[in-house]
Amino acid sequence: MTASAGTPVDTSASTPGPAAASAPAPRPAAGRRRSPYRAALSTPRGAAGLALTCLVVLAGVLAPLLTGHDPTGQSGQGLLAPGAPGHPLGTDDLGRDLLSRVLYGIRADLGVIAVAVPLGAALGCLCALLAAVHPAADTAVQRAFDLVLAFPGLILALAVTAVLGPGRLPVILVVALAEIPVFGRQLRAGILVQRGREYVTAARVGGTSPARLLTRHVLPNAADPLVVQFAVSLTVAVFLEGAMSFLGVGVRPPEPTLGNVLGQAMPYLDRSPHLAAGPLTAVTLLVLGLSLLADALNRETRR
Amino acid sequence: MRSYRSYLLGRLPSALLVLLLASVLIFAILRLVPGDPAVTLAGPDASPETVAALRERLGLDGSPPAQYAAWLGSLVTGDLGPSYVVGGEVADLIGDGLGATAELTLGALLLTVLLGGALGILGATARRGWVRAAVRAFTTGALSVPPFVTGVLLVLLFSVTLGVLPPGGRVALLDAPDLGVQYLLLPALCLALPSAAVLGRYLGDGIERALTEDHVRTAVAAGIAPGRLLRRHVLPGALPPVVTLLGMQTGHLLGGAVLVEAIFAWPGLGQLAEQALTRRDYPVVQDLLLLLVAVFVLVQLLTDLAYAWLDPRIRGE
Repeated sequence: MTASAGTPVDTSASTPGPAAASAPAPRPAAGRRRSPYRAALSTPRGAAGLALTCLVVLAGVLAPLLTGHDPTGQSGQGLLAPGAPGHPLGTDDLGRDLLSRVLYGIRADLGVIAVAVPLGAALGCLCALLAAVHPAADTAVQRAFDLVLAFPGLILALAVTAVLGPGRLPVILVVALAEIPVFGRQLRAGILVQRGREYVTAARVGGTSPARLLTRHVLPNAADPLVVQFAVSLTVAVFLEGAMSFLGVGVRPPEPTLGNVLGQAMPYLDRSPHLAAGPLTAVTLLVLGLSLLADALNRETRR
Repeated sequence: MRSYRSYLLGRLPSALLVLLLASVLIFAILRLVPGDPAVTLAGPDASPETVAALRERLGLDGSPPAQYAAWLGSLVTGDLGPSYVVGGEVADLIGDGLGATAELTLGALLLTVLLGGALGILGATARRGWVRAAVRAFTTGALSVPPFVTGVLLVLLFSVTLGVLPPGGRVALLDAPDLGVQYLLLPALCLALPSAAVLGRYLGDGIERALTEDHVRTAVAAGIAPGRLLRRHVLPGALPPVVTLLGMQTGHLLGGAVLVEAIFAWPGLGQLAEQALTRRDYPVVQDLLLLLVAVFVLVQLLTDLAYAWLDPRIRGE
């Protein structure tokens, strides 16, 4: 949802000079291309984003080491306030340790995101490559994208869960499906822009085969917006997971995710607002970190 | 360069095609659901005759193409038939939900325009640097934080801490405007915040660009008052892309309304969809999905048309 305006497609900045057309060795070009990402990570914005993201990811990955409680184990002491012995964040209505629920919730979210976003990105790029092969394939792929995009994110979630029922797999599927046209269109636009450039014409005149033209010349130069999009899509995935949990069609309780731990805190907001504090902080830090990263990458690659 | 009418005629078929494909897709995926709805509905102890009778009443006895045709026919006549589980006629259920969702979406649209406009103008024209920085930080936050987080924060602030607004539910705006507004304010604000942030950024960028244009600088040099400068010289140039953006955001508001309704217990189409899905009431789900997609496609089409109207170069593509 936030992706629409945050990153307008603009591949014009990543044009190699005329030298690239005649450059025989790809090595120096590869070395030069790596730099905008590093530069992005060393800006204050990028460094802050990376730090926040790493903090949350580490908390999720190291969850079993950071807490001794079972996230679904009920202690019999419900709604303990934060700071209670053995429960730093307190317990929820069923007496489950909140810290472990938040940490394992991050872990569950990471598990979904780490599968779904790369899957969606890969399938989307594959579609774009298919579209680049033949005009008929292009039309078919474009119509398919239109069709998926006709279902706004959450409506798509409802349609998928109508068939599969709630669970982890539908969440992964919805995120991946929603990302396919996003990456597909991005790469397709990039390929079209690069194909029209002089260095590609020069390479084609020089006798480069279409396949080599695509993999060696066009794709590397169309990749920058995809990297930015990847960071944006990670935030969209966090959003979709949480939204699906709120709608009751996400990962099934009692397994914690950031979305459903927060959702379960909703009925208790007036009496025990501390239930919401942990998941709120985790989601906000993660999403803010990823957004800052995306923003920094976007600025550096468009320079 | 094509005329506006031929552009319109060119865009309509592709929108209709998307709708038709979406209807086939929705129909097909709901037939993929494991289990026979009639068997589920009749219960475990029902006799085969009862199940068969039920199947006939639900229109499930025909072949899939015949069922599809019957469905399209029912959409054209508006007689959508009874719901399985939720109760009542599907058309009535959807009508009630549509009213509530439209109220929420329009309220959010209004807030988007007001808030986005204020953020855009403030962010681009404020004299003090810290005001601009604050606006930028606010839009970044509003854009990146998901609605379910802002929703919880809004409830914590306005309902739990300050106790000035109700945390959820709805009173129809037309029945009791003063009370209705109180219930509408939080969900509409939660829904509007990301869109307002996007709008504010685009408008701010547009104004900053317009401020550097020659005719505006001439006007500044001529000593025109800032308010008049903004209204007469800067905004007319900065507005057209914003109008298009607003159209796109309307589509997002509709999609987001489903979530916001769940957070604030707002009895609209999103809540109806949630109920129908969890109770496996497929006639409702089927009609509802198509309706939502249709509205979304229509909004996109209108946006494209508005853009082509504002910028004739688009029509040639």
